[in-house]
Amino acid sequence: MASTRDIRRRIKSVKNTRQITKAMELVAASKMKKAQQAALAGRPYAELMARMLAVLADRVEEAQHPFLVHREVRTRGIILITTDKGLAGPLNANLFKLVTEIKTPAKYAVIGRKGAQFIARTQRNLLADFTVSDRASFAEVKVVAEFMVKQFIDGAIDTVEVLWPRFRNTLVQVPTLLPLLPLTSVKAAIADLQAATGGSAAGTRPAELDQQLLFEPDAATVLNALLPLYVNREIHQQVLDAKASEHSARMVAMKTAKDNATKLLGDLTLEYNKARQAAITQEILEIAAAQFAAA
Amino acid sequence: MPLTLEIVTPEARVYHDTIDSVVIPTVGGEIGVLPGHIPLLTQVEHGELRVTKNGQTELLAVSGGFAEIEGDRVHVLAEHAITEAGIDESAVEEALKRAEQQLREARDIDPQQYEHLQSMVRYSGVQLAVKRRRR
Repeated sequence: MASTRDIRRRIKSVKNTRQITKAMELVAASKMKKAQQAALAGRPYAELMARMLAVLADRVEEAQHPFLVHREVRTRGIILITTDKGLAGPLNANLFKLVTEIKTPAKYAVIGRKGAQFIARTQRNLLADFTVSDRASFAEVKVVAEFMVKQFIDGAIDTVEVLWPRFRNTLVQVPTLLPLLPLTSVKAAIADLQAATGGSAAGTRPAELDQQLLFEPDAATVLNALLPLYVNREIHQQVLDAKASEHSARMVAMKTAKDNATKLLGDLTLEYNKARQAAITQEILEIAAAQFAAA
Repeated sequence: MPLTLEIVTPEARVYHDTIDSVVIPTVGGEIGVLPGHIPLLTQVEHGELRVTKNGQTELLAVSGGFAEIEGDRVHVLAEHAITEAGIDESAVEEALKRAEQQLREARDIDPQQYEHLQSMVRYSGVQLAVKRRRR
């Protein structure tokens, strides 16, 4: 049996681990809450954008915007959204599994250090890697989105797809690959925005106001300016979603680690008490034996 | 009939109130909106947005986006928008200096980045102008 001192040392180290994991769990929980709120805060924006697009879609014959042009797909462009830090359970690993299943030629833009390391290690074609702070402001994500859009326009890639851990609930995050560009149609974009707001947007305006609606400079120009904004918003929303996933995955992983540590601590304490008791018994025996011999 | 103004950005709903009138910076110049304005959908430029309510004028700095006016409702969809009180002058000044510095040093910077910096410079400039207007 291990000496009491060894066991005591192990107990101490497990206790420390438990304390750390507990703290990390709490931090992740509060960050998760914030991330979820941030994801919800984008709703009014999506609503308004859906309304504007809806008005424009009726006005403009399917516009000749480059986002709407489908060409032969030679190289796919994929935005991979991962975390900067590990300790988030199988979150990143699940994403990478999906990446390895992509057999067609693809180029990647990565958000998060973990993903950049993976793409570099497996020698895939990495266009650029970005890091986004926990707050994931629109301006930060815009840089990524515009970079990919530029590659798309220049013809370096023929699609823009986003691969991120979609937040289902605290326990479940599903790696999801979603094609973004080329857009199937403006109508599909509107439907998508409406889905993001829970279907409450658009369709509420009085028809007679619609008739005399004026556009400055003109409808096509406004639509062409609105579409890139739509793409930026989509990607921003997915980054926010990925952040919520990250923090909830980390929270769950840390909770499991904490529970394991607690259990281990129980076992170790039991073992320690047994060892201590055995030592005491041993000592008494020795004293008794010595006295018996002396008498 | 009062006017309802709503300003939203991807991050939050910045402003939502009933007001008397509003002046919006658009690509075609500033437009003043009073109740009963004709329905209009237009592009918004970087600039200051003046809201008048009960004789009081409030200033907001907005960056590029869109505005929709229908009847007695005005919606502004902007990338950034900030109320006068929310502007941190020294922080903006610093950001402006940083961005300008980068612009000066950058020779073969890619156009995307260049544009991003320029828009930052413009937006910072607007924020400062709004903040200093009252003095």
